[in-house]
Amino acid sequence: MSKPDRPQGAPAGTKRIPTPTEPDVDVIVVGAGPAGAAAALVLARAGRSVYLLERGPFPGSKNMYGGVIYGRILDTLIPRWWEEAPVQRWVTRRATMVMTPTQALTIDYRTAAWGEAPYNGATAFRPDFDAWLADHAVAAGATLVPSTTAVGLLRGDRGQIVGVQTDRPDGDLTARLVIACDGVNSFLAKEAGLYHHPEAEHFTLGAKEVLALPRDEIEKRFGLRGLEGADFEIIGCTPGIAGGGFIYTNLESVAVGVVLSLEDLKRSGKRPEELIAGLKAHPAVAPLVEGAELTEYSAHLIPEAGLHMMPELYGPGMLVAGDAGAFCLAAGIWLEGVNFAIGSGKVAGEVAVQALRAGDTSATFLGRYQDALTDTFALADHIKLQGAPALVMSDNVQRRYPELVCSLVESLFTVTNPTPKKGALRLAREAAKGSGVRLRDLARDGWAALRSYG
Amino acid sequence: MAEPAGPAGPTIAVALKWVDLRPDIDRVTGATHHDVRFFGCSAADQAALEHALRIGERFGWPVVAVSAGPAEADAVLRDALAVGASAAIRVDIEAGARSQHSAAALHDALATIDGLRLVCCGDWSLDRGSGSVPAFVAAHLGWGQALGLVGVDLDGDAGDGAFTVTRRLDQGRREVLRIDGPAVLSFEGGTAELRRAPLAAVLRTRDAAIVPLAGPPAPHHRLRVVHRGPDRPRARVLPPPDASLSPRERILALTGALVERTPPRTVVCEPDDAADLILDQLRAWGYLD
Ligand SMILES: Cc1cc2nc3c(=O)[nH]c(=O)nc-3n(C[C@H](O)[C@H](O)[C@H](O)COP(=O)(O)OP(=O)(O)OC[C@H]3O[C@@H](n4cnc5c(N)ncnc54)[C@H](O)[C@@H]3O)c2cc1C
Repeated sequence: MSKPDRPQGAPAGTKRIPTPTEPDVDVIVVGAGPAGAAAALVLARAGRSVYLLERGPFPGSKNMYGGVIYGRILDTLIPRWWEEAPVQRWVTRRATMVMTPTQALTIDYRTAAWGEAPYNGATAFRPDFDAWLADHAVAAGATLVPSTTAVGLLRGDRGQIVGVQTDRPDGDLTARLVIACDGVNSFLAKEAGLYHHPEAEHFTLGAKEVLALPRDEIEKRFGLRGLEGADFEIIGCTPGIAGGGFIYTNLESVAVGVVLSLEDLKRSGKRPEELIAGLKAHPAVAPLVEGAELTEYSAHLIPEAGLHMMPELYGPGMLVAGDAGAFCLAAGIWLEGVNFAIGSGKVAGEVAVQALRAGDTSATFLGRYQDALTDTFALADHIKLQGAPALVMSDNVQRRYPELVCSLVESLFTVTNPTPKKGALRLAREAAKGSGVRLRDLARDGWAALRSYG
Repeated sequence: MAEPAGPAGPTIAVALKWVDLRPDIDRVTGATHHDVRFFGCSAADQAALEHALRIGERFGWPVVAVSAGPAEADAVLRDALAVGASAAIRVDIEAGARSQHSAAALHDALATIDGLRLVCCGDWSLDRGSGSVPAFVAAHLGWGQALGLVGVDLDGDAGDGAFTVTRRLDQGRREVLRIDGPAVLSFEGGTAELRRAPLAAVLRTRDAAIVPLAGPPAPHHRLRVVHRGPDRPRARVLPPPDASLSPRERILALTGALVERTPPRTVVCEPDDAADLILDQLRAWGYLD
């Protein structure tokens, strides 16, 4: 066989073709992650023909994340989803940990309510979860096309998008509409000219290890029973690099990872696995993961800057959803991408159904997508929290405030007899001075936090 | 069967086994966990299919894919239809059947093919992997067998559908055989890269109905397995390098360097120039405008 001129899966750019009068299919959804599966599900249920292209051998095979899925958005798509979704554990314990290299302060919240239907968050493996969601789309009538990568766009007579080129022989596919759900740093949105902010500063790198431990050991170490699960979000664990960390419990493994500013990482010259090793060695974390066997290491980009990096979400013949549209919410105490992907994919599917019904896939009609999104959490939360990513990644939140709170708490609880106890205010002033926090910064960041999170 | 098997005239059958390509084997206990999502055809079976298709194209002979296994094995038959097999037959037997049972089942399928001329197989399967199925099949058919093939030469005089194959012998020796009549051929993994299925064929065959044949009963033997040691992951199979190459070149070929791709370059330069070189290369491959 002759060798292809390009490596398999390499981009092929844009090809002009006469606008097909009878395209192969109503809609091509590129990417069978949560966004693509949700869009395909909505379209198939509306009786539309839809091809769901996935470059991996099955949905989820290429996907990684930290580990918690917030399923509320699924209520509208798959009622009582919790009875069938492939879940590892239900998160009933949520801890936010603030760290310095030797200290840790944890706000640890538990509720029995999250351990019962309709639940709040669940740990799940993406190859299981994504495949399950895509199966629903297939059951509704979508055609899943695995091991097939979209490598380019097809544009019609007037420049509108009319399909994709794939990496298979004779691989062009035409459609009335293409929905790009191809994940972070979306090749399709860029190719369509919709992405204007692909700067490195807008991305973080997430890296994680999966560590195997016996089930009862996990339950003992994290204080869990049955299918209860724990979710730890950590600030201050990535010395010299803006970011954060996380620990999630699966049934028989623990995911430990870091999220790192790309630019800081490059400047630091450190390797992500060094930072995970540092986190695992921290006195507050080591007892949780000691003796565990490393079974998996993975890394992936995260679109961190939310609203500030979002591409145009529609163009003639195209909609963009999920991480491809930078819908992942990375706002410190929250790292939610799967639910935002499902939310935006669902709306994209709904608007696509309307457009097909109206026989109008022009950019003007598809502009409804943006409006519809604004009415849901998928965009509304980004608008509300637009100041959060910058605040969370600031030097104060990353380094000074963790030092401030940890030293304040340490001095509060250090018994100094026979020296009399100092007042809390005085201790706070001393801690602020020691960590270089100025009252002015505290007030400014407090106000910014109130505006974002309030 | 997706389409009626056995068009008159010489036909090639290729035997494919649906097998776990990535069994999760506990290194201490040997306990094996299977995930059906990672099942498919071994590299050896893929090579057999590719060789069968090439031989078929050369002589205008159709290729029929056969498999002995459970219903899930239809997946590998559909993949074979997508890359160009003209028909597919599955004989229904349970996964993990022993070699003689599998061979008897395959023989039942082969018996339905008119004009059967060649049977192509992988040399051994990834799970049990004794390599005996092709030999049992040859015995059932009463045909000659050429096992452990590493290459096929179709460029010679093809008048009567004859061609030559190369097989590996012990101690690195090679033997060239001429095949000019019915035979069972088994191929080593990595000796041919299976072509990619065209998109339209993938879409056309993804739901192809494959009506199974009832499998033969498991043969009763005086010989039973009474103990089996733990599974061990198989070593990855690499195509054997060309024997005419120098030892150094053979090592390079085995390690993947300088083989079927742009030779790697080592450059010593400043970071700025290195970045430019990387960008130029990405541009050349089409990743950047
Ligand atoms: C380290 C880390 C931790 C995270 N933790 C969490 C968490 O705990 N909770 C949470 O909710 N979110 C988390 N996220 C974010 C979450 O993973 C993403 O927001 C989410 O996966 C986005 O879904 P998506 O469908 O848009 O894209 P993806 O999940 O990336 O799916 C895109 C799909 O498209 C396919 N694809 C890509 N290009 C092509 C192409 N050209 N042709 C065909 N197919 C293609 C891919 O194979 C993939 O299946 C985390 C992310 C990272 C990196």
